[in-house]
Amino acid sequence: MNRALRRVSLICLVLFVLLLVNVNYVQGFEASSLATKPGNGRTFSASLQFQRGSIVTADQKIVAYSKMNKNFGEYQRHYSFGKMYAPVTGYDTLYSQTGIEQAENKDLAGTDPALEVHNLIDLISGKPKKGATVELTVNSVAQQAAWNALKASGRQSGVVAINPRTGAILALASYPSFDPNMLATLDGKKLIKNDKRLLADPAHPLINNAISTTFPPGSTFKIVTSSTAFQTGKVADENTQVPAPTRLALPGSTTQLINDNGSACGNGRVSLLYAFTVSCNTAFGDLGLHLSGSALRAQANKFNFNNPNQTLAPGMQVAQSHFPLYTDPAQRAGGAIGQESDTVTPLQEAMMSATVANDGVLMKPYLVQKVTAPDLSAVQTATPSTLSTAVTPSQAAHLQTMMTSVVQNAAGTAHATAGTQVTGGIEIAGKTGTAQNGINNSGLDDAVFTGYAPTTNPEIAVGVVVKGGGFGADAAAPIAVAIIKAYLNSQGKG
Amino acid sequence: MSALTSPGQPFDADAGAGQDQQPAAVPAPRGRRRTELLMLIFVVGVVLFAYANVGLGLNGKIPAGMFEYGIAFAILVGAAHVAVRWLAPYADPLLLPLAALLNGLGIVMIYRLQEAGRGGNGGFVITTMSTSTTALQVLYTAIGMAAFVAVLAFIRQPRTLQRYTYTLGAIGLVLVALPAVLPASISEVPGTLAKIQISVGGFTVQPEEFAKLALAVFFAGYLVTKRDVLALAGRRFLGIDLPRARDLGPVLIAWGVSLVVLIFESDVGTSALFFGLFVVMMYVATQRSSWLIIGFLLFIFGSFVASELFAHVRERFVVWLDPFKYVHTIGFQTAQGLYGLGFGGVLGRGLGQGQPYNTPLVQSDFIITAFGEELGLTGVMALLLIYGLIVQRGLRAAIAVRDPFSKLLAGGLAFVIALQVFVIVGGVTRLIPLTGITTPFLSQGGSSLIASWMGIALLMRISDTARRPAPQPIQDEGMTQVVRAG
Repeated sequence: MNRALRRVSLICLVLFVLLLVNVNYVQGFEASSLATKPGNGRTFSASLQFQRGSIVTADQKIVAYSKMNKNFGEYQRHYSFGKMYAPVTGYDTLYSQTGIEQAENKDLAGTDPALEVHNLIDLISGKPKKGATVELTVNSVAQQAAWNALKASGRQSGVVAINPRTGAILALASYPSFDPNMLATLDGKKLIKNDKRLLADPAHPLINNAISTTFPPGSTFKIVTSSTAFQTGKVADENTQVPAPTRLALPGSTTQLINDNGSACGNGRVSLLYAFTVSCNTAFGDLGLHLSGSALRAQANKFNFNNPNQTLAPGMQVAQSHFPLYTDPAQRAGGAIGQESDTVTPLQEAMMSATVANDGVLMKPYLVQKVTAPDLSAVQTATPSTLSTAVTPSQAAHLQTMMTSVVQNAAGTAHATAGTQVTGGIEIAGKTGTAQNGINNSGLDDAVFTGYAPTTNPEIAVGVVVKGGGFGADAAAPIAVAIIKAYLNSQGKG
Repeated sequence: MSALTSPGQPFDADAGAGQDQQPAAVPAPRGRRRTELLMLIFVVGVVLFAYANVGLGLNGKIPAGMFEYGIAFAILVGAAHVAVRWLAPYADPLLLPLAALLNGLGIVMIYRLQEAGRGGNGGFVITTMSTSTTALQVLYTAIGMAAFVAVLAFIRQPRTLQRYTYTLGAIGLVLVALPAVLPASISEVPGTLAKIQISVGGFTVQPEEFAKLALAVFFAGYLVTKRDVLALAGRRFLGIDLPRARDLGPVLIAWGVSLVVLIFESDVGTSALFFGLFVVMMYVATQRSSWLIIGFLLFIFGSFVASELFAHVRERFVVWLDPFKYVHTIGFQTAQGLYGLGFGGVLGRGLGQGQPYNTPLVQSDFIITAFGEELGLTGVMALLLIYGLIVQRGLRAAIAVRDPFSKLLAGGLAFVIALQVFVIVGGVTRLIPLTGITTPFLSQGGSSLIASWMGIALLMRISDTARRPAPQPIQDEGMTQVVRAG
């Protein structure tokens, strides 16, 4: 029987070797892919066992932080300003993350390779593991002003403020918004309930209108049309006379392009500056007719239109602002004044003004200034980078004169609502837009405003869209004014 | 039978205690009980260290009752050791420490799982465990060790068991069949279809654990008397010795028993265990590999038919193929177990620092995944090697012992441990489809633990018989050698 028993020993050996090889495979090789499989809550739960890093503003106001919840024995995320920063920070929940919480998760969670050395030192010195602090470019005063202004409008709206010199985002707000604290609960059932409630809300508070929703740009697109006219040599400078009929016949179409309320534009032939200041549709429609579709589109692209890959931070995707190739002249005339299929995000609006303010150079917008390890050493610091050069400095100077005129000239569309008499002396340059909506323009107009300040050495560029707000000058410009005033005053420049 | 091999070093020059009166000329056989004692002290140390580690991992404090539990465990282990010195002085010195180590680590892990979510600890409470689960497991350990001593005390010669071949066979069959005929309210494990227990007044017994031992004795007794017939009669076909049709009877009966377990008790694992045990013992008895092949084919056929006929068996196959696809339904437990293993990685999260409470019923069938999560691949490999050593020591006793009945019994008992570990560890690590059976010595529950200790006692009794020195000749017969026949 011993021969058989030895064989049985061999069988047992094979069984154990199979088990050993298999556990080596599962725990050694498969472990990393198992960690990301659906329904694996262990990784996230483990992340609740230590303090996630805070998110702070450029002026060191704490926006998001983690605190031990004694009832759960886990760290819970808190958002100090509720709805105000939701479009920036996003949320960090049991199931998913958005915004900066997602983009900077590796730093906040302390799992980024750059933090490994810090973690090792903490492990050796017995200090509890802690995530890195993420410092935003956002200024708390500008953000507060932006949120208050949008909330006061009560309409679906978004606003972005940028430092035109660097691309650093100074404010980014969206209305309606949600309180991320609702989703930061450690109670899974409550989380699911709150999540369902937010998803079912007809106002769509989870949507970030500042970067994820596109609106028609209206007359603000005339900045791009003017740039194209300069670039192609069609128009020499802002003083060049351009045709501005009361009614512009559109080839192959029975409809005629008219100005606001069908009013006349000067005596039918005006300077580009005047047409821009009072926002004549026929002058820019006529430019559209005489500029090529590809030239308009190429110029729009330089202003960041049709960019499908824009992010404010890794994974924080920006909706594409759209300017198609118009081959039909009638459509091109409409496109040249911001109608037809043109769309923009409020961020895109801000970027247009920022480009003009920065002498034609468009800086890449970014949201994270610095990541700081728990020992206060900087892990990474943002360096501004150029996205594109849209126009030459002299062309930018023409545009600056035109945008200044819109606000500072008594005839300008935004003079009443953004002039120095309401800003306390701050000189703003800008462009209004009132985009028609619905079939036969039966819907409420969307109010758009893009601008920067001060007119010399600009420090802030703002883009605002208020859905159904009416005139851009009335509904959107005051929001930009509020942000600009608050920000420049806080910087001691007011 | 082939030439007898030396079982360990029974004739080592270093005489054990109590053999001092032996003439110096004849090397005294060595019991190696001192080795066992040293190993046991080490075991108690390891277990207490792990216990302290759980407390430190959970809340940074040495757990309450560390001293009391330590003393209790040391006394239990010490008592078993003293009993072995008295009742089986020549028994294998490794079996008791290895089993005690598994048992002790099992208690530690059960304590860790019981404490999850309680008293401010991380995680959530495992609702299938109460605050007295660990204390109960310690009690079961005491009963298990008492049963261990009782087996050693009552069975002084393994051969005496052979007299009760058919009695034990009948007892085994009754134990297997009992849950099948009892109403589901008494025999069904809550939350499963498995009708494998007898639960009366909050006290639960799983008779199949004991049936395993009884049937092993029955198979050994039966096969010893029938092995010549089974081995010699029959024809050769395709190079395989086929048994006669009428000799197939017993294997078909065993197959039937395992099918009863499968069909009426929905317990695939135990069914496979019984059948594997019988086939391997049949093979050892007859030395004819045809039994292994026939048995293997019958098992594959049975599994196939079962998966076609029964939804709960088919479900196991489906989950085995892709547990992650059904992660929120039928694959939840398997997937969570695997996630735990992956979470542990190579070195583990540390005792008390993983999240084994995410895996349903982690304290019984899935306890190896809790070890994998907190002690890592390293810990799981160590546990598997401990099982491997137990099996190896058991098979060694089987090879060493002269009496064929004991040989068969030891071989069967050792193999069934290997098979049980393979079925459950292979099941939770997705090597094979999962079938719920206990992990010997580790899983929470009394029946498995007590039966496992009884099995170890039988193996130690057989190894004691094997290693016991031949009786000294009464007269000095000069140069005459004592020839020991195998």
